[in-house]
Amino acid sequence: MALRPDYPLLTDRLCLRPFTRGDVDAVCGYRGREDVARYLFDPPLSRDECALAIQQRTVQTTLVEEGDRLVLAVELREDKHLIGEVSLIWRSAEARQGELGWIFDPQFHGRGYATEATNALLDLGFGSADLHRIFARCAARNDPSWRLMERLGMRREAHFRQHALFKGGWDEEFYYAILRDEWLAMRQST
Amino acid sequence: MSSLNLPIETDHLILRPIERSDVEAVGRYHILPSVQRYVERPTRYAEDVAAAVAVMRAQIVLHRPGDTLTLAIVRKGDKVLVGQVSLQWSNASAGQGELRFCIDPAHSGKGYLTEALTALIDLAFDHFRIHRLMARCDGRSHHSIKLMQKLGLRLEAHYREHALFQGEWDEELHFAILDREWRPSTKVVDFRPRSAAPDLPRAAI
Repeated sequence: MALRPDYPLLTDRLCLRPFTRGDVDAVCGYRGREDVARYLFDPPLSRDECALAIQQRTVQTTLVEEGDRLVLAVELREDKHLIGEVSLIWRSAEARQGELGWIFDPQFHGRGYATEATNALLDLGFGSADLHRIFARCAARNDPSWRLMERLGMRREAHFRQHALFKGGWDEEFYYAILRDEWLAMRQST
Repeated sequence: MSSLNLPIETDHLILRPIERSDVEAVGRYHILPSVQRYVERPTRYAEDVAAAVAVMRAQIVLHRPGDTLTLAIVRKGDKVLVGQVSLQWSNASAGQGELRFCIDPAHSGKGYLTEALTALIDLAFDHFRIHRLMARCDGRSHHSIKLMQKLGLRLEAHYREHALFQGEWDEELHFAILDREWRPSTKVVDFRPRSAAPDLPRAAI
């Protein structure tokens, strides 16, 4: 089902909104970092690359057809500080599958912001987007990432070992997933 | 990749390329719903089998990534074709391959697939120098699961309702094995005991 959310999406402490051109500095602040890029497909981004990425993101705000991605800036409601980004990709229209992703500025790790933002995106995916299953993946060594998936109530569905090369070494990857029924049960119990 | 001497002979079986005359034998299992799932092209009706056989007949070399080697499993004594196995070279730089297998239900449960896949896995790791092999199966296919476990493949993925297959939610398992996990004891055959080592000229020591 096509998804054209009314922005911004608000949670207790956060505001999820489309990217704007004014976000370049804040995005550079974390996408330029080696430790942030370690488990991403991209290398650390230069300022120009950040500007280009943001330009693409300003229109990635709806899911109209399969393959579309929604990428939102996550900002603190308190002081409008941009702390990261979350994404939802529409992987299959027929089987109603979506993929969840996130990148956060390490300065703001450990305060539950990523959990809060990704939970809002799960609600959007299973709510208005009517998805049946949402999955996410990460490098097996990226503990904070898979711990977040477990906090979201996702199950580990796959553990691939040396199934591909990644940045010059063997890749080891986790897939996590949650079904609509599991999400419903979780929301009803809280 | 280097060329291969076919057919391959195991204790009870001969693994050879598919032949034009195999249409009838292949058709016996190829059109079954349970087999449909993991064949490369759907062969729902008997008339599709000849086309599938034509494709498989050409699958005899792994020259480049994406190529598939498909072999008929033939019983040694009576030359009956009981099933097929295949190896796809899916990625060169990361040395990845995928195994597929089907057996005619009339001949299942006799260990033919175990014997054929063992030979194919040997070939993949020893001859083709694959680094990791994976195989997929239906989450409800107990025979396939047992077979994978017997061969020593690890369960790497269990997808639930990740896709629709013929109108129903699908459940799929992925099994995998790395080259160093396959028959690890045989990997040291070349490592001769120290007393036997000095074939080298004395000056080199």
